[in-house]
Amino acid sequence: MSTKTIRVATDVGGTFTDLVCFEMDHATGQSRITTAKSDTTPPNFEQGVLNVLEKGGVDPKTIDFLAHGTTVVINALTERKGVKVGLITTEGFRDSLEIARGNRPDFFNLHYEKPAPFVPRYLRRELPGRFNYHGEEMKPLDLSGLRDILDAFRADGVEAIAVCFLHSYANPSHEQATIAGIKRLWPEIAAVASHQITREWREYERTNTAVMSAYVQPTAERYLSRLNDGLAAKGFDGNLFIMQSNCGVDSLDSVKKIPITMVESGPASGFWGAAELGKLIGEKNVLALDIGGTTAKCSLNHDYFCGGSVTADMPATEKALKAVGEKLGVSADEVARGIVRIANNNMVNALKLVSLNRGFDPRDFTLVAFGGGGAMHAVALGVELGVKKVVIPAGAAVFSAWGMMMSDLRRDYFVTKLAELTPGSAAAIETLFGETEALALQQFNEEGVDRAKVTFLRYGKFRYQNQEHTTEVLIEGGITDARLAGIETAFHETYEREYTYRLDAPVELVGIHLVASAEVGKLKMQERPLGPASASAALKGVRSVDYALEGIHKAEIYNGEKLEPGMAFAGPAVIEDPGTTIVVHPGNHVEVDGFGNIHIHLKA
Amino acid sequence: MSTVTHDPITLEIIQNSLQATADEMFAAMRKTAMSSIIYEVLDMGTGITDARGQLASSGAGIPGFIGVLDKSVKVLLKKFSKPGGIEPGDVFITNDPYYGGVTHLNDLVVAMPVFVDGKIIAWTANIAHNSDVGGKSPGSLSADATEIFQEGLRLPAIKMISRGEAIPGIFDIITVNSRMPDFLEGDLWAAIASVRIGAKRLAELAEKYTVATFQAAMDSFMDHGEKIALAELGKLPHGTFELTEEQDDGRFFNVKVTISADEFVIDLRDNPEQDTGPSNACYDDTLVSMQVIFKALTDPASPANEGSFRPLKVLTKEGTCFHAREPAAVGFYYEIGIRGYDLVWRCLAPHMPEKLPAGHFSSIAGTFIGGIHPDTGRQYTIIEPQIGGWGASAGRDGNSAIFSGVHGETYNCPAEISEARNGLFVDRMELNVEPGGEGKWSGGHGIRLDYRIRRDNSFLTLGYTRSRILPWSLDGANEGSANYALVMRKDGSSERYAFASGIRVDTDDVIRVITGAGGGIGNPRERDPKLVAEDIRNGFITPERAREVYGYSA
Repeated sequence: MSTKTIRVATDVGGTFTDLVCFEMDHATGQSRITTAKSDTTPPNFEQGVLNVLEKGGVDPKTIDFLAHGTTVVINALTERKGVKVGLITTEGFRDSLEIARGNRPDFFNLHYEKPAPFVPRYLRRELPGRFNYHGEEMKPLDLSGLRDILDAFRADGVEAIAVCFLHSYANPSHEQATIAGIKRLWPEIAAVASHQITREWREYERTNTAVMSAYVQPTAERYLSRLNDGLAAKGFDGNLFIMQSNCGVDSLDSVKKIPITMVESGPASGFWGAAELGKLIGEKNVLALDIGGTTAKCSLNHDYFCGGSVTADMPATEKALKAVGEKLGVSADEVARGIVRIANNNMVNALKLVSLNRGFDPRDFTLVAFGGGGAMHAVALGVELGVKKVVIPAGAAVFSAWGMMMSDLRRDYFVTKLAELTPGSAAAIETLFGETEALALQQFNEEGVDRAKVTFLRYGKFRYQNQEHTTEVLIEGGITDARLAGIETAFHETYEREYTYRLDAPVELVGIHLVASAEVGKLKMQERPLGPASASAALKGVRSVDYALEGIHKAEIYNGEKLEPGMAFAGPAVIEDPGTTIVVHPGNHVEVDGFGNIHIHLKA
Repeated sequence: MSTVTHDPITLEIIQNSLQATADEMFAAMRKTAMSSIIYEVLDMGTGITDARGQLASSGAGIPGFIGVLDKSVKVLLKKFSKPGGIEPGDVFITNDPYYGGVTHLNDLVVAMPVFVDGKIIAWTANIAHNSDVGGKSPGSLSADATEIFQEGLRLPAIKMISRGEAIPGIFDIITVNSRMPDFLEGDLWAAIASVRIGAKRLAELAEKYTVATFQAAMDSFMDHGEKIALAELGKLPHGTFELTEEQDDGRFFNVKVTISADEFVIDLRDNPEQDTGPSNACYDDTLVSMQVIFKALTDPASPANEGSFRPLKVLTKEGTCFHAREPAAVGFYYEIGIRGYDLVWRCLAPHMPEKLPAGHFSSIAGTFIGGIHPDTGRQYTIIEPQIGGWGASAGRDGNSAIFSGVHGETYNCPAEISEARNGLFVDRMELNVEPGGEGKWSGGHGIRLDYRIRRDNSFLTLGYTRSRILPWSLDGANEGSANYALVMRKDGSSERYAFASGIRVDTDDVIRVITGAGGGIGNPRERDPKLVAEDIRNGFITPERAREVYGYSA
């Protein structure tokens, strides 16, 4: 038995493949962190992962837990480099995918071009069979035409099949029977049904999601298999987990079936990391900001839960800027200051959208900024938002990879089912949660996950009767008629905070969102004691820095790698770290905590 | 950070924040509304005006709603001009086109002044189609209305919330006049939440940057909009262009467009007398329709504001269908609006082919189906515009199944939601492959949508144009195809409609909505045979018709 535990996270990005390795020596209690970066290696992305392990000096044989995030799926989608997909859907609805929702986002533009569907019409086929919205069968499924459809797909070179029937969110049995029929007639074809991904209504969205999952499935499956084989060839026999868009990780086999779940795995892991970091350092409310080279993303983590995220449109910023520059004819410096101010303003608007605009006051939050560019803008943004403190995590440049190691095995289950909150309705809601939890336990059990390690979070999706959009409310414990009034009150409060008013109207449940998590050996960070050393040990020199609104100041320049727990100093200053630059403004006060995170207290 | 500064960077930041605010108002309204016409279809708009009611910024949604809100605010400013007439916390409402409502009575405009230091610095406003505001027919729209009194409750630019408190009685009057009071009340509060959220944001913005800077930002943005429009006018062909076009009902509409370096004049004076029915538009709405096509020609890429429209002049004659006189009925104003919009488009298309595609299905195709939900026993009303085929652009086939030119970021209703909400079956929602629109570049396809009714004594009201006079083509291509609806009775008989109200439909009757293909561009015989082969493979055309129209043989 090894006396060490080695956890590794690798993150395949567009340009670089990142590595973070945490090595814990149980005998001494010492931990060691290694980070490395190497080039991403398309199309054989797994090679980049093996390269970065080698570069970081990590022997795959010794790894206990390996988490992996990748942009392979999102890239295959955005570059339209997936496989030829065949779609099987309900009679009368083969054009849903092409009709989409009919919207014209670019609405004054008479030459707007609607995106082409991922499956052309001749590969969209129908089967008879129909449910109503309660999930009751109106017309039985007739699979007699399936063989002909599959023969035609084969002849046309189809490599993956998506299945989506009307109202399958309420009753997936026709989809299940069709998938079983496909497996029987054509065992080697990749096939996915919409209910496997989500059980929410809106047929176009569900169809399109199933199609996109099928579209990347062979690519993702090949990639994940080659990664697994490549690691195995080097002696890796630990657990491999794949980062998901929902801030959790999932097993390799599960992800191969519905690879669409890892489409946003990169940003998700960073936000999860921020929430976990918040827990670690005792910050309950965290606004997370991830700025890479070309995009900025942010998210609100309230009470430790991963919130929504938005992406600031950096190309739009630059366009706006160019217009300004041309209009002005001002000096290069002024334009540069303008760039920073407008970029910051756009990010502030994005941050407000996930916080203030949802009824949260950013002044109650700590801003956690990471990614290559996050630390540069963080203080200026923090001032605009009115937060009291900004935290730049240790290893900010590879923070997404760090977040993966903090993730649980997590699956989200969404089920649409209408119920009124009237006495007598609690039993049906409790049953729905119970059944979904049983399904989750069964799936975990099949993968050998101990039942005792599984935890659930139950969310109800509520609305006022006649509304459409819902507000999620966390429900703790079992649901009984006696508790319905309390649940309703929680909804009214959440709703009023977000929308300024409440109604005296009946409240209804539209569906549930169950989060099932299992702890699979995630990292526990060791805190080091705060030392007495003066920050002057890390001081490199003094330089003039232009702080835009605050003018030009002489700033102290620190070497981030030499900062130790307990060191403290005041701004104006700049901390240079490999992969990121932290800008500390005049009047700020900086402290390094026991984990190596940099806390920047803004002046009151 | 409260020094007065008019530096361009600050102005740009304020403009971005105005846009973000209009978008936030839109999101709040969408998430809280109760009628699917608002939350799903997004038949709504949000906007911000300056203190004088000039449009400064608008949210997503419908281009045909963008130029509405400023006109409403201007009427409110005039009507409540006495000292103390407009106070902090007030919220106003109007829906009457003869009192700043611009469109028709279903569209409630809600507006709120934004105060800083006791002075109005801006207005936030929104508009949305409400399900039922009373009147002679369910859904309030009626193809046989002859005066506005039959089309619902008239709210002639009134105050409904005074200093933050609802004025007793106003909400009662509004809700008691509706067949769907719960929906109306829910949607109205959604609108109020939206203007309040926007007003709060704008006040914060002006306090942060100072009112003077805030106002300078709005002014400079409008001047910039005007500058762009004028620059584009310089590039358009100058001269006077004229078109007379026959309509489905046999009347003829006329337009003369005169383009010069500094003006774009649309003359609609030579048009028929106002209709005795509801196919009339008020002047303000005609102006909005003209603004939409003008913006598409001059600057389709950036958001619209007052300045974008300064070079535009629209001439009408009172008492005609484009400038109805009170108390003309105006329920189907939008079909007149889109006819005027399309008339200008068609008039100019031959002269600027790179800017204008061939004609599209060009109708809102408003479809209203209602009755009692068989499962819940509650009243339901479907109110939906339809999607259809667009005309070909030079070098490209037209889009299939998208909303018309005066609709925009709006969404169709999913079958799964419609079946649950409305208690009917959607038997199919597919592309319409009826012949039409074939050319070197072909028009896109419309849709075929079947609603099967589940309960007796339900109703259908509809108002479609381009049902007889088809979407126009260019350079020798085929015209598009027609918009219409069939009522296919359980007994096998069937009726065709384009404009009708209160048609009774019963259990297992099917309402089939058909929207047309857009017009094509160029001789069909010049179409690339590879594209024809794809059309055949995808089932858009039969091999026989491909031979006949394109001269194609495999």
